[in-house]
Amino acid sequence: MLWLVPAFPLLGFLLLAAAGRRMGQRAVAAVGTGSVGLSALAAWWAAIDFMASPGHAAWLQALWTWMDVGGFRVTASLYLDPLAVVMMLVVASVGFLIHLYSTEFMAGDEGYGRYFAYLNLFVAAMLTLVLAGDLLLLFLGWEGVGLCSYLLIGFWYRDPANGRAARQAFIVTRAGDTGLLLGLLLLFATLGTSDIQALLAAAAGQWPIGSPLAAAAAALLLLGALGKSAQLPLHTWLPDAMAGPTPVSALIHAATMVTAGVYLLDRLHPLLILAPAVQAAVALIGAVTLVLAGISALFQHDIKRVLAYSTISQIGYMFLALGVGGWVAAIFHFMTHAFFKALLFLAAGAVIHALDGEHDIDRMGGLRRQLPLAFWSFVVGGASLAALPLVTAGFFSKDLILWQAWSTARPGLWTAGWIGALLTSLYMGRLVFRVFFGPATTPARRPFGWAMGLPLVVLGILSVVGGYVETPPFFGDVRLLSSFLGAVFPAAAEAPSGAGSELALGLLAAVAAIGGIAAAWELFRRRQRLAAAEGLLQAGWAPNWGFDFLYDRLLVLPYYFLAAVGRGDIVDAAYAALADLTRYCHRLLSRTQTGRVRWYAAGVAAGAVLFVGLGVWL
Amino acid sequence: MLNADDLLALGPLLALLAATVLTLLLVAVRRSHGLAAGTAAVGLLACLALLPGAARLAPRDVDGLLLLDPAGLFYLGLISLAALATCLMAYAYLERFDGRREEFYVLLLAATLGAGSVVLSDHFAAFFLGLELMSVSLFALIAYPAARQRPLEAGIKYLILAGLSSALLAFGIALIYYDSGSLQFSGFGACFGARPMGATGQAWLLLAGNALLLAGLGFKLSLVPFHLWAPDVYEGAPAPAAGFLATVSKGAIAAMLVRYAGETQLHDQPAMIVLLELAAILSIAAGNLLALLQDNLKRLLAYSSIAHLGYLLVAVIAGGTLGAEAVAYYLLAYFAMNLGAFGVIAALSSGRRDGEGEADRLEDYRGLFWHKPLLAGILTVNLLSLAGIPLTIGFIGKFYLFASGVGAARWLLVAALVAGSIVGLFYYLRVVIVLFARQPAAPAPGIAGNGAAWASALTLSFLALTLVWLGLYPEPAMELIRSVHAPFYRTEVSRLRLRPPPLRPSLRM
Repeated sequence: MLWLVPAFPLLGFLLLAAAGRRMGQRAVAAVGTGSVGLSALAAWWAAIDFMASPGHAAWLQALWTWMDVGGFRVTASLYLDPLAVVMMLVVASVGFLIHLYSTEFMAGDEGYGRYFAYLNLFVAAMLTLVLAGDLLLLFLGWEGVGLCSYLLIGFWYRDPANGRAARQAFIVTRAGDTGLLLGLLLLFATLGTSDIQALLAAAAGQWPIGSPLAAAAAALLLLGALGKSAQLPLHTWLPDAMAGPTPVSALIHAATMVTAGVYLLDRLHPLLILAPAVQAAVALIGAVTLVLAGISALFQHDIKRVLAYSTISQIGYMFLALGVGGWVAAIFHFMTHAFFKALLFLAAGAVIHALDGEHDIDRMGGLRRQLPLAFWSFVVGGASLAALPLVTAGFFSKDLILWQAWSTARPGLWTAGWIGALLTSLYMGRLVFRVFFGPATTPARRPFGWAMGLPLVVLGILSVVGGYVETPPFFGDVRLLSSFLGAVFPAAAEAPSGAGSELALGLLAAVAAIGGIAAAWELFRRRQRLAAAEGLLQAGWAPNWGFDFLYDRLLVLPYYFLAAVGRGDIVDAAYAALADLTRYCHRLLSRTQTGRVRWYAAGVAAGAVLFVGLGVWL
Repeated sequence: MLNADDLLALGPLLALLAATVLTLLLVAVRRSHGLAAGTAAVGLLACLALLPGAARLAPRDVDGLLLLDPAGLFYLGLISLAALATCLMAYAYLERFDGRREEFYVLLLAATLGAGSVVLSDHFAAFFLGLELMSVSLFALIAYPAARQRPLEAGIKYLILAGLSSALLAFGIALIYYDSGSLQFSGFGACFGARPMGATGQAWLLLAGNALLLAGLGFKLSLVPFHLWAPDVYEGAPAPAAGFLATVSKGAIAAMLVRYAGETQLHDQPAMIVLLELAAILSIAAGNLLALLQDNLKRLLAYSSIAHLGYLLVAVIAGGTLGAEAVAYYLLAYFAMNLGAFGVIAALSSGRRDGEGEADRLEDYRGLFWHKPLLAGILTVNLLSLAGIPLTIGFIGKFYLFASGVGAARWLLVAALVAGSIVGLFYYLRVVIVLFARQPAAPAPGIAGNGAAWASALTLSFLALTLVWLGLYPEPAMELIRSVHAPFYRTEVSRLRLRPPPLRPSLRM
């Protein structure tokens, strides 16, 4: 039954791609949302089946053997283990809610059918990626996700800026994908199998810890993960990817695309264990990213860009968790993040929708009364993101990451995480206060209906209660998630210090969260006075830490330069010469085709003489 | 000398023979296009139906002339399927034909019978007879619309040149016989392999004989430097006959070459391998280059088939079980792709009158997608497969060839294969672009024909689906091919003989 999970959205995509233009919006919405809904049902069914089975042994469903030629064997298989179960459920369920929301959000758009076709393909690709049992299928899903992100970011293709953003996303992630492909080929060439489990077993058997091959493979995979998950230094595409429709942003940020990198590293974590240097790099990158992106988020004016930087920052937390061996913590944070980030994006979409496409938070304000549901969604989602202690899901997952950073004796990483937490609550507080408090500037014009409201409510509930599957010792000590995932991951290293220090650290994290929000409120109140200072800072921070500028100078301009030099010059000449040579040969050979039988007969005879001569002489 | 088991084992060939004779008699009694086509189709189906029974008795040596082994029967099945497809497509094509239509099927069956005995032959006599049966039928098939100038010209060209190549073949066979004293492949094979090359005075006769044999076969396979006839003949022949010529006649010879090379251990003769290598590289290069800027679709397919046979030789040269499997798989792919492409041409040409020629200029296909989406879609799939794009059978086939070339460490050939595929991409995609061009060549008068004849459309759709299906899920076909090739190359295979092998004259050394 497992294959149905990715098959339903794929079928929906095919239907919509073939007949989407001729279907009414109602039919498109039914097919598009229904297919993902069915997929989510199938996913839940498979998951319940899986959980009911004793011992949670992994399922391997071989679909077919694509080719088996001379020892080169590629199979397409699906693999379901606890990790895949969690990912699959989140992707399918959150994906479904976003589809439902889109039916109303996109109503009236002329590309309605196209939109849902892409969206379905997106979910299908992500589910393929998550469930893939072998590297080839995983790569297929990975590339499918990349393609769909390109199509959806540039969905409103009439505006050239959107096309540019889409291209940027595609090219930057492509840089990472090249690394991934090389890594996969390296693994395949050295270990001789594309089946993930067999490959990991072989790697663990053949390579000692710290072996250069393992490090190379892990580093290349990391490059792919950095691109897809928008981590330093390949993070520049994500803020610009806001050009797509808002539900797409929700899908990219919460359920699909950017978490693919986290999933990849989690799925192949034995390789990271074999390469401690790379794992340390993962932690470092995560820590640096989460702080820098958090600072960037403070100075954005576009409501969606704030959220985009916050995504980069939160994925940074997940990388930090991976880097310190907190495999479960990374997945836990992925899950809660999927809930609250989808909630925030959808709520932001509701605000934008109500204000007829207004993105600038400076022109928003006082929307608390006009859009109560969006307001409360924002409050819940923002609180969860800011990790408000005990009552939100985000607190538990972030606390687990911080605890694990501390317990592996890396106080530096913990400090970065703590500063990040402070920043998070600061920028979230700023966003909420700016948009929903203060004097009303732009009146909300359009209310929204149940299709947009229901996902908000569901996600809001999940953002609160989703954290109770895994709580620290000082608050119930629930271990549902880690015991469920225990079959997949080795136990995280626990410091002997125990519950006391964990409680202390939890309190510190709580202080960061509450302190940040308080500071944000204080700043909001004195905003008039601080405006000048902020403007000054913005000049420095807002343009993405100068990364765009740096890349522009370092990569894009030299590239243009080389292209300009190469135009009509050396390289082109070589290619043109090759093409001309081919054409010349074509003309030369064409002359042999005279149409005269005696010439043809002479050709055959000459060939025969040549053959006999060579055959005897050699 | 034949017993019941032999008859059962020979069943498929006998069915073809019976169908040929029956169709011939029916034509004499009552002229009916449908009846003739139906009889031919039923005969081919009967042949296919009898194959599993024959396969159960395989491998079997029938009287020293034919060797019924699983691989040979696989090729017979492939040939029959191709003939069946040709038959169905020709039915739509000939429906509007002015002259007599029924004899086409008689000739088709006879050619199929000839091809069948070529792939099963283990003896030069059986091989040569089958080959001539096939060739003579092909002359007539090519020149079938004899009232038109181009087919007639093509037929006569093929007649003269094929006569020349048969002469080369016969002379080569004579030389081989003179040296080895045997006409049976397996009979003189062992000594051929063991002979130190050139050391004895007369080995050069054997070598010269084999070189001539390869030249003759090279003509039939239209390998460079024996390829000059192919484009003219393809262009002139009616499209179904051209498709048949491209697939069945070449496929049968290629299959026979693999068997011949295996049984006579041709791979131990470096000189012969060099000749094949030369032909392969030249064919890949010349075929692709000639097709590059071609404006006539039939000529383009002729050149591309030269290149494809060059690709195929890579696996023939690589040899071994993997090589034989690769040849079988590639032929399967090649048959499906070319039958589909020629079938589309046939479907578009079927309404044409004398003097109009066939719908084979590239101009005729401009924007075809916008008024005949099904045919254009099928042609697109076929061309993509010919180009070897992944998820089509052409990719898997090419990959198979590639794997066999790499396995045998034939790097030069593998490089040629890759380079040729790159050039090939250009001209196949050029046609695809024309198909989807925005300005349709105003539904040209000739194209509006009865291209929608259901038999043809159904066959073409089936072929296109096969291409994609076996590209996505090639395992069943691979499984079949692996199973039929399992015992073929093992030298220790004990052949089931009905009578003691005939005494051979002792070999003069």
